[in-house]
Amino acid sequence: MRLAPAPATLLLAGAASAALLARQLASVAVLAVLLLAVCLRSERRRRAPYLVGALASGIGVFLASPLLAVEGANALWTGPTVPVLGRLDVTTEELEVAALNGLRLTAVALAFSAYALLVDHDRLVAAARFAPRSALAVALATRLVPSLERDAAGLRDAVSGRGIAVRGARGYARLLSPLVAGSLERAVNLAEAMEARGFGRSDRTSAPAKPWRRADRAAVVGAAALALAGALWL
Amino acid sequence: MAVARVDRLTYAYPGGPDALREVSLTLEAGEIVALLGPSGSGKSTLVRSLAGLVPHFHGGRFAGRVEIAGLDTRRARPAELAGEVATVFQDPEDQVVMAIVANEIAFGLENLGVAPREIWPRVDEALAALESLHLRDRRTAELSAGELQRICLAGALAVRPRLLLLDEPTSQLDAATAELLLAKVQRLGATVVLCEQRPERALAVCDRVLFLEQGRLLLDAPRAEARDWLAENRPCYLGAGDARNRLFLAPGPLVVRAEAVSFAYRPGVPALDGASIAVHRGEVVALQGPNGIGKTTLAKILVGLLEPSAGLVERDGRAGLLLQDPGRYLVRERVVDEAALAVGGDEARALAALARVGLTWAAERHPRDLSSGERERLALAAVAVAEPDLLILDEPTRGVDPDRKAELAAWLAEYAAAGRGVLVATHDGTFPADRSVALGEEVRVVA
Repeated sequence: MRLAPAPATLLLAGAASAALLARQLASVAVLAVLLLAVCLRSERRRRAPYLVGALASGIGVFLASPLLAVEGANALWTGPTVPVLGRLDVTTEELEVAALNGLRLTAVALAFSAYALLVDHDRLVAAARFAPRSALAVALATRLVPSLERDAAGLRDAVSGRGIAVRGARGYARLLSPLVAGSLERAVNLAEAMEARGFGRSDRTSAPAKPWRRADRAAVVGAAALALAGALWL
Repeated sequence: MAVARVDRLTYAYPGGPDALREVSLTLEAGEIVALLGPSGSGKSTLVRSLAGLVPHFHGGRFAGRVEIAGLDTRRARPAELAGEVATVFQDPEDQVVMAIVANEIAFGLENLGVAPREIWPRVDEALAALESLHLRDRRTAELSAGELQRICLAGALAVRPRLLLLDEPTSQLDAATAELLLAKVQRLGATVVLCEQRPERALAVCDRVLFLEQGRLLLDAPRAEARDWLAENRPCYLGAGDARNRLFLAPGPLVVRAEAVSFAYRPGVPALDGASIAVHRGEVVALQGPNGIGKTTLAKILVGLLEPSAGLVERDGRAGLLLQDPGRYLVRERVVDEAALAVGGDEARALAALARVGLTWAAERHPRDLSSGERERLALAAVAVAEPDLLILDEPTRGVDPDRKAELAAWLAEYAAAGRGVLVATHDGTFPADRSVALGEEVRVVA
């Protein structure tokens, strides 16, 4: 069963808020696991970079923050003194805080991943029923990223196909200008196609959204309840 | 009853020469009109005039009159004409707006103010007509070019236009899919203008033929009469240039050999599975197969851009690859610099390569100021300038008119005759080659 775009987005926002507000490690861990389960419902080939990014950022916070924080008296490890940072050490309290913050970040990143992977953004912005041109700009920007990726790969292959290796930051930087020029060309072509398809007429209608079901209404209530629970009890 | 009338239309893009000169024609309800002519003859400009995009979107000098369903295009903007006219442009990637297929098709209907309750049924009906209902909830960013082309056509069909303008709608499709699509077009009942660089496809379904050259309408005749005219005046358009009549000598030593190569962009989804091919010096080989079969992947493996996950590749000498749609992938600010990139900036060699493709005159211009056909010739010069031992071209005849195709084939034959190997990945079954290979299986040897 799929939720309508707006309730789904609210529910994910509620879960992310709860993860940010909760103070119990176990509560945040449960939220992160639930959000991970939601992400796993998306296509395998699309979800991999999102999941790697979400988990890597959480692990990064868990590993780095104890070294930078100065908190607690129960030292588990004491290291050298580093200029600016001072003495490096890891305490039990710092590890607890790092785990909590790492899980919070992971949960928020997973909520965003679920939004990117599973929500129909076209219908979400259409459902907003305000600033339709801005909403369309958002939809086009969403499409721009994969187009740019493909163009960048095409440019790299085109140059490599002539026997010229594209290496390092400098090599890729040289492709930036043609990439921008190419995307501007695409933008002009797209504008032409949109005009030919009647964009800008005053009598525009909107395809009907599916009526909200009980699950959609429950999701909205659940989103508010999650945020509240995160602030008060979790 | 006339759906469109064009009366003595002359048009020039801003700062450019006349793209259309004194063109007059009438399009009757329900007829399918093939619009033929060489690259740069004004076909796309005429299509844009019928959609009202010329002059509203492009500006320029406009004289004469174009009327669509009684509306004068000088007064009615393209958006106002959109209910009567639907256009499918050549490159599907440049016309897709929404992230989900169903929303993309609904976009045009929403713009036109179609009653909300009608929108989703019409979306489904258009998808079903093109046997694409399975794509309904897919993300547009993940579709192949051929699938996107079908979605763009479905978007146009959903509008139920009186006049459907198709600018090379089959350029990204293999023969079977193109036939399916054109058969659907034939049954629409709308007036259709079909702009095609593969004339045999258009001639199979049209009622009438228009032939443009240098902006002038040279022919406006029913199909049978048009065939006679083409046979007499432009035989290439009837396939006369496609004969495999090259004197094929015994092939030289191997320039590349791939044995049972496999590759997957994603684990568990093979893009290529156990493909084998060999190209010898002195021969032009056509690598054929339908969309998505892995021709491009194999081409990239043969030049060394991809490492196969299994199998063996042996190459003797250097390899060069001309990608699909190469005009998009130009990287320098001057044409001569673009051509010189692969030879360390050697302008003399670059100018010689430009001369071979007829672009000497453009040496100092910016590559993006060239037309799409000229850009493709520039890209070919930029790859061939280094005279690689193995030259691979991926779909080089897409959007290329029959005369240019014949020229390209002749040039490649000459290139191979100089002791190099040429591989052309194409779903154009008429491309002249010494032999054709269907991924892993040699299907024909022509001597």
